Amino acid sequence: MKYLFIDSATATLVVAVVVNGEIKYLFNEKVGTDMSSAIMSKISMAFDQAGIVPQDLDKIFAVNGPGSFTGIRVGLTVAKTMAWSLKIPVVPISSLEVIASGTPSSNNIALIDARRGFVYAGGYDKDLTNIFRDKYILLKDIDQQGTYISYDNIVSAIKPNIDILKIIRKHEREPGINPHRLNPNYLKLTEAEENLNKQND
Amino acid sequence: MSTYILAIETSCDETSASIIKDGREEIATVILSQMKTHANYGGVVPEIASRMHIENITLVLEETLVKANMTMDDITAIAVTYGPGLIGSLLIGLMAAKTLAFIYNKPLIPVHHHAGHIYANNLVKPLEFPLIALVVSGGHTNLFYMPEDYKFKHLGGTLDDAVGEAYDKVARVINVPYPGGPLVDKLAHTGVDTYKLPLPLNDNSYNFSFSGIKSAVINLVHNEKQKGKEINKANMATSFQNRVVEILTKKTMHALKEYNVTNLIVAGGVAANSGLRESLTKECQANDVNLIIPEIKYCTDNAAMIGAAGYYAYKLGRLADLDLNAKASEELK
Repeated sequence: MKYLFIDSATATLVVAVVVNGEIKYLFNEKVGTDMSSAIMSKISMAFDQAGIVPQDLDKIFAVNGPGSFTGIRVGLTVAKTMAWSLKIPVVPISSLEVIASGTPSSNNIALIDARRGFVYAGGYDKDLTNIFRDKYILLKDIDQQGTYISYDNIVSAIKPNIDILKIIRKHEREPGINPHRLNPNYLKLTEAEENLNKQND
Repeated sequence: MSTYILAIETSCDETSASIIKDGREEIATVILSQMKTHANYGGVVPEIASRMHIENITLVLEETLVKANMTMDDITAIAVTYGPGLIGSLLIGLMAAKTLAFIYNKPLIPVHHHAGHIYANNLVKPLEFPLIALVVSGGHTNLFYMPEDYKFKHLGGTLDDAVGEAYDKVARVINVPYPGGPLVDKLAHTGVDTYKLPLPLNDNSYNFSFSGIKSAVINLVHNEKQKGKEINKANMATSFQNRVVEILTKKTMHALKEYNVTNLIVAGGVAANSGLRESLTKECQANDVNLIIPEIKYCTDNAAMIGAAGYYAYKLGRLADLDLNAKASEELK
């Protein structure tokens, strides 16, 4: 089976091609705000190095958030367009699950800085079973114990060491969703919506 | 062999795709407007626009192909608006276009939004050169000189608010619902020019400025309120529209004279403004200028115009590679 994996939810872009359970290409580096310029050349390189073409793909695994709103959309638009056009399923993956994926402790708490004291947080055990659902929360309000993991400078957090194959093994049997319905999981309304809701309350 | 361009436009609050044959013939176009959603906020909210674009982009693409009864194999090249516009919105169309160009190994054509507005006219009647183009919309106010196909000389533009933006802001101040531009235009036909408003940036340049006249309207409204009175909405609409139309007409006619050109193209959402249409029609008749204003459906943002412009960019070999990025502001060259 031939899979493409894309994660552009944080400043670290991850692009991988996995063929029959083996990583044929992996890009896993910080690209910062240049996501939209960087991503296509990495994807193009991924297919070249794996010796396959997009039409060979069986499934796409795409991170749908939480994280940078724009960043999520860049990678997800690629995944969505590709899956729709090639008529293949796409499996949405949590960015927090990816962050937690390579850490062997049984209580991993993956974090993404969401500014003003807030974080996106998700709890995963060593088998990537979800311990607590991804949420938008004040860092100080997290009451679960565990190993903090984050790319961002969050006190006592260790850096992620992601394991793409582990993620794919866990989700491989999922049927995936209709690409038209693949949308970001922001975990947060826009400011305009929040303000409008306040007015209506 | 015919050239079929699949075009994508997501620069503001319309998700649109279109297939255009040889730069002139519209095979199929789909436009999904977000206007009703943004009306709740009194204007376009960029983050909401981006969110709606990603929700709808593949649906719009699919409907376009279905409507055209075509597949990606029938497409020669892919054109996309790369700027100017809302960066988050632009990125959705851009990423979808780059992905399709990559998968199917098709040329990728970056199209400037203003070039699109100008070439909307080409879907009605082939452009005749040289020409002057006045591009007026909610986000843009620009004058261009074009000696030939896809050669643009920027003569001037707004230094602050776009003309459509000024209309929407004035509408809000005089309590006309969003999007106020078309309603202010309607009101302007029922009033009398009684309010003393300045003729904005009345100089010899081709630049425009609409923030001053907008502030003048706001001040007048506030002054009347302090006296416990209300302004006459219709008269204010007439006074405002008269000044705006006068300066747009004056500078456009000046450009035609200076460049010795007899073809004028008006494009963009504000090209639908009846006051502007009437004024330019009158002046062009008096000066033997051939005036072309596209149908309303081609005035507002749509991908058909991007496909029309994209065809000429393609013929000139103006292509992009997969690193192409979106640009919030970018001059048309």
